[in-house]
Amino acid sequence: MTQVAQAMRDKTAVCGVGLTLGNFQDKSALALSVEAYDLALEDAGLERKDVDGLIQLSFGNDYDRFLEAVGTDVRYAYQGWSHGRFIAPMLQQAAMVVASGMAKAVAIVHGRRRRAFGQLADTEMWRQGLGPHGESPAYGAMGPVFGAAIAAQRYFHMYGGSGDDLAPIAMAFRKHAQLNPLACRTSPMTREDYLNSRWIVEPLRLFDCCQNNDGGACLIITSAERARDCKKPPVYISGMQGVHAGPQFHNLTLPGLGVAQQEVFNYRPQKEDLYAYQMAGVTQKDIDFLITYDAFSPLVLFGLERFGFCGPGEAKDFIKDGRIELGGELPINTSGGLLSEGHVVGWNLFIEAIRQLRHECGPRQVKDAEVCQYGSFLGETVIFRR
Amino acid sequence: MEPSYKVVEEKTGRYLPVIYPEELPFWEGARKHEIILQRCNSCAKSWYPIGPACPHCFSMSFKWDRMSGRGTLHNYVVFHKPWTKWFESKVPYAVVQIQLEEGPRLTTNFLDCAVKDIKIGMPVEAVFEDITSDITLVQFRPGKK
Repeated sequence: MTQVAQAMRDKTAVCGVGLTLGNFQDKSALALSVEAYDLALEDAGLERKDVDGLIQLSFGNDYDRFLEAVGTDVRYAYQGWSHGRFIAPMLQQAAMVVASGMAKAVAIVHGRRRRAFGQLADTEMWRQGLGPHGESPAYGAMGPVFGAAIAAQRYFHMYGGSGDDLAPIAMAFRKHAQLNPLACRTSPMTREDYLNSRWIVEPLRLFDCCQNNDGGACLIITSAERARDCKKPPVYISGMQGVHAGPQFHNLTLPGLGVAQQEVFNYRPQKEDLYAYQMAGVTQKDIDFLITYDAFSPLVLFGLERFGFCGPGEAKDFIKDGRIELGGELPINTSGGLLSEGHVVGWNLFIEAIRQLRHECGPRQVKDAEVCQYGSFLGETVIFRR
Repeated sequence: MEPSYKVVEEKTGRYLPVIYPEELPFWEGARKHEIILQRCNSCAKSWYPIGPACPHCFSMSFKWDRMSGRGTLHNYVVFHKPWTKWFESKVPYAVVQIQLEEGPRLTTNFLDCAVKDIKIGMPVEAVFEDITSDITLVQFRPGKK
C-alpha cells in the first residue's frame, strides 16, 4: 500500500477554486453549482473544454443535469452521497483519476439551497438500524447534532470537563470569520455570549452547531505538470488516507468513546493509522495550519486526537489560550470553518486550505504557510503543500 | 405483524419507527412487553442493531431470545430543541444509550426520572410504551441496584 501511495505524492494539484456563501433564495442548487464552476475555471485560467472529469454530491441536481447545463461532455463522471465525511474521499478520487490518466482535469462541483425540494436528509434518519448519525426519530433522537452531542457526552464522562470547555473553539473560529469577507457569521462572540447561547441537545449549545446557508463550491484537480501552467500557483496533493469505517468508527465520534456499539478505550493513533504523513513525507510538526470538519465543535477535539496532535482527553485543554487561533501554535479553520464561515458541506474548508497555501488570504493569512492538513475524526485526510 | 414504513402518525404528529422485515420478532416481542433480540447459535452472543448475521463471528445461524431487561445507563443527552410541534410539550427530554446486561446497547428514552437525576452508570430496567394500536417502544427507567 505505502509504496503505491508514495508514488502519488505531489503528482496532482488543485489548480482552481470557486466559492459562494450566503442567502440565495432566488437561485436553485443547479445555478449555484454552475456559478461556482464558472468562478473556478476563471481562477484556474481554464475553459470548460479543458475539464473532462466531473464529481459531485447527491445534493440538488444530478451530475448529468449539471453537465447538460454547462454544455460539456466528460469521460469520467461520478456522484457520491452528500455527507461531510465523503468530501475527502471525493477529492482523493479526483486525484487518483487524474494520476491514472482516466481524465486530465476533474471538477468537483456542489450547490446547496436550504429547505430545497426533494432532499434526502428528510428521510435518512429512518434508515434500518439507526440513521447516519445514530438518529432514531421515534425516540426523538433527531438530527446530526444528536451524534455529536452523544459523543461529546462520553468524551466528558471519560476525560472530565463539560460543554463549557468547547467555548474556545466557537470563539476562535468566529474571530477567524471576522477576517473573511465571504463568512456568513461574523458578529463578535465573547465567552459569555457562548455560554448564554441556548441548549440545542445538551451538552451542546447553539454556538456549537454550524447553521445552514446557501452556497456553491468548485475545485478543479489536474496533474502537477498542467497545474504549473495555470493562472494561480499549484497546491499539490501530497498525502492522503481514507475514511476509516466499521463498528469501532461510529459517525461524529472517535474510536473508543463507546458511542452506540463502540468499545470503550483511550484512543491513541498508531503508525498504520497515520499513513498519510508517510505518503506526504511530513509529520504533525510540519503542519502549518489544520483544517478539520467542524459541523459541531466537539469534532475539532476528535480531529486533534485522531491525528495525535495531542493525547487522549488532552484536546479540551489544547484548544485553550489561543493555541488554535491565527498566530497560535496550530491555527485551525482559519476561514471560520463551518461554524462561522458557513456550511458548504466542507468544500469551503478545502478551498480555505488552497487559498492559504497560495498566500492570498490577506489579514487572515497564516504567515509563510507551506503545508496544510485537512484531517477529520474518521481518519480521512488530505495533506496539501504549496 | 407486518413491516411498517409510516414515519409519522397523522392524528398526533408523533414520529414512528420504521419496521424492517427482519425486525418483526423484536417488535412483536415489544408488543408483549419483552425485549427479544438475536442470539448467535455459534458464539452465543447477542447484538444490536438487528441484522442478518452475527457481527461477532459472522454466523448466519441465530435464534430470537428474551433479554433480561436489566442494564446500565451508558450515555445520555438532553434535547432542548423541539424538532416538530409534537416534541414541544416533551422538551427537555433525555435520549439514552442503555447497555443491556447481555451486551448490546439500545438507544431509547428514559422515563420516570428527572433529567437532572440522570447519571451515567446508574442501573436501569426496561419499561414498555404502547404508542399505537400495533407499535410498542422499548424504553427504560431507573432500576434496582
